[in-house]
Amino acid sequence: MTTQLRIAADRQLDAQVVTSGTETALIMRLSGEAFGIAVGLVHEIMDPIPVTKVPNAPAFASGLINVRGAVVPVVDVRERLRMAPTLPGSAARIVVLDVEIDAKLTRLAILADAVEEVIDIETSYTEPVPDMGAPWPEAYVRGVARNRGSIVVLLNPETLFRPDGGRSSNSESRT
Amino acid sequence: MANSEPSDSAYVIETMDILDGLEAQLLDLEQDPNLDAIDAVFRALHTIKGGGGMFGHRTMAEFVHHFEDAFDKVRDGRLSVSSQLVNLALRARDHVIAMLNCGGDGLDATALANSGAAQQLLADLKGLLGAQTVERVSEKPIKLWKITFKLAPNALLNGTRPELLLAELASLGATQVTLDGAEVPPLERLDPTLCHLGWTVLLSTREPRAAIEDVFIFTDDADLEISEIAADTKPETVYTLQETSQNCDLEEDAVRRPSKEIGGDFVRVSSVKLDEILDQLGELVIAQARLSQIAAESHNPTLAGLVEEVERLVTGMREVTLSVRMLPIETVFGKFRRVVRDLSAELGKDVELATSGGETEIDKSVIDRLSEPLVHMIRNSIDHGIESADGRISAGKPAKATVWLSARQEAGDILISVRDDGAGLNTDAIRRKAIQRGLIAAEATPSDLELHQLIFAPGFSTAQTISSVSGRGVGMDAVLTTIRALRGSLDVKSNAGRGTLVTLRIPLSLAIIDGLLVRQGAANYVIPLASVDECVEFDSSEHGRESGRTMLQIREHLVPFVDLTQAFNEPTSLERSRRVVIVKSEGLRLGLVVDDILGQNQTVIKALGPFHDAVDGFAGATILGDGSVALIIDVAKLARQVAIAHGALRRAAA
Repeated sequence: MTTQLRIAADRQLDAQVVTSGTETALIMRLSGEAFGIAVGLVHEIMDPIPVTKVPNAPAFASGLINVRGAVVPVVDVRERLRMAPTLPGSAARIVVLDVEIDAKLTRLAILADAVEEVIDIETSYTEPVPDMGAPWPEAYVRGVARNRGSIVVLLNPETLFRPDGGRSSNSESRT
Repeated sequence: MANSEPSDSAYVIETMDILDGLEAQLLDLEQDPNLDAIDAVFRALHTIKGGGGMFGHRTMAEFVHHFEDAFDKVRDGRLSVSSQLVNLALRARDHVIAMLNCGGDGLDATALANSGAAQQLLADLKGLLGAQTVERVSEKPIKLWKITFKLAPNALLNGTRPELLLAELASLGATQVTLDGAEVPPLERLDPTLCHLGWTVLLSTREPRAAIEDVFIFTDDADLEISEIAADTKPETVYTLQETSQNCDLEEDAVRRPSKEIGGDFVRVSSVKLDEILDQLGELVIAQARLSQIAAESHNPTLAGLVEEVERLVTGMREVTLSVRMLPIETVFGKFRRVVRDLSAELGKDVELATSGGETEIDKSVIDRLSEPLVHMIRNSIDHGIESADGRISAGKPAKATVWLSARQEAGDILISVRDDGAGLNTDAIRRKAIQRGLIAAEATPSDLELHQLIFAPGFSTAQTISSVSGRGVGMDAVLTTIRALRGSLDVKSNAGRGTLVTLRIPLSLAIIDGLLVRQGAANYVIPLASVDECVEFDSSEHGRESGRTMLQIREHLVPFVDLTQAFNEPTSLERSRRVVIVKSEGLRLGLVVDDILGQNQTVIKALGPFHDAVDGFAGATILGDGSVALIIDVAKLARQVAIAHGALRRAAA
């Protein structure tokens, strides 16, 4: 297991970074697109392991995996962002996150086609996704940043991982 | 515990326990004002007061003192037990809890002590004390004596009979006898004509010392020691001494050693620690499963033997750990006597609570969360279910209504039911309300059973007026939420004019169960072993019967079956030889068709989490020996799902 790199980021340090106008994000790839997620949420990155399917479960959280003795749901970000499903390739990784859901810290896993790097993002340079710029529901995306000339989509963990899909926040409808 | 003064927090915990017990003691006293009950109440108050002074709850101790005084008078026969007194004492008890919670002496405590409620309580008490005519009863207080005696070696030759002495002591009051056989010589040197034995007797009696001395009047040469044990120093010793009948069986008494009751070795442990032990045990079970798997692959007999040993130890450890967490459900039942008493007074309905099965044991973490839903259910019964006294009489029922609270174990589940002999659910009102709230269509014709289930819908209430007790429609919905969180289920049955029965089913343990591991397709599932009846071969010709019949003939019974692939919306299995696991749920048997049965295992139950809570049919997930995740099938839910699907089909056809 060469890529069991564990990002045990010191969250207090992160908090300081954020206040100074930059944010550290983990860049992962889904269907060719680069997505950024705050590094403070990342618990660990694992090689793919078999996922146990939960019958009759919603499509965006269809399975469970074992992360160091804990049963952790696998969330399909692709499904949430209305992207077509693909089979995992050799670079695929499981990113384990600790996200607050309904005021409770919940551990969950997402499948990424690849995990690339950790970058600092100037928060002042992020911009919103322009209308009609992508099919992604607006609520799930915080904005777009630039990294060495290419685009990084910053995910919004607060809405993206809500079991009800953030429907109550009433911002998914975008036509 | 964050408290800087551990002795203080220990006092608070202990006092809370005493106060819990005090409630029941007061209610006992009201029903049957015997001297033991009076004594128990007095001692509880005395202990609270004594400790309060020592541990910085002086204000509270002063408050309690007034009531201790009152019960001292009751004890001496200068005040009789009345429902007003019990009422006052119950209210005072609630006030003491508030004072205890405000963290000892200080501004808060003083404010509470001077509050209108407290002053009112004391004034009422004073009024009660003044109003009662004092009549002195000749009975003296019970005292506890310790009598140690050893007969002279030749006493038996002289015709002394120790069993008669013990019987005579027992005639004075309750006794507890301990035998001292330390001086009995080895068999080869034993002279059977001599007496080598000594006895220690704990006696609680109203008789004076002279009466005890009289017992030994003819045994001058015996080694005799009589001492009084002050009640204050060992209150628990005194009231655990049970009043044994006057002609008590001597042998039995000698056998009944005081080890358990008197000065027993009990340790108070924080439940957080128990939870930690359970967590660790869960990890151990999973690690052990992995070890077993590796040992099976390695074909090393020494390792296999060792692994078997470890497995045996882990199983034993599991049983002990779980048993430590088990408490009789009585501890919750006790609280409801007060609830029923207060409610029936408030609503002006005469209601009696009957309980059964209080000895049923259940995991502590479950017990803690049960009392709120049960209170809701009992309130509903009394407020909605039970009619007014006039209504009851005109319906030909006794004016006094009864609420039955019972618990029992069935396989791996605990069933708790609340039953009343009231009017039953008003299906017409439920129907009207459901249509009004858009829960059912106006032209729908749901069965009574389906209508009954609607009372669990959020915000549902048919009450016309909102009382302090119910009608806000948060009740049954909240009950259902709590019970679901405990992986349990609720069932309601109602008989118009006869009463309502709500049954609550919760799993015995929330942590580790024995499971049957089965395979369906590529996935493994665990079926709780407690609900498995038997396993049989599946005759593939049963499938796809043109008649659509899904029933198996198991010996002389017909058992409906469901294919897991169907229940889980998966493609039909192509395996040739499949198996059926016959499970039982709520008295019904159901066959689950699976591809294969893999064997038994210890299953550590892990919660499914927020994304899968709403998925029906599973009780949780577990981690298998190979590290993979398997889902635990919730047999009761699955059975109900199947029953509903079938019921809908059959009704549609009708």
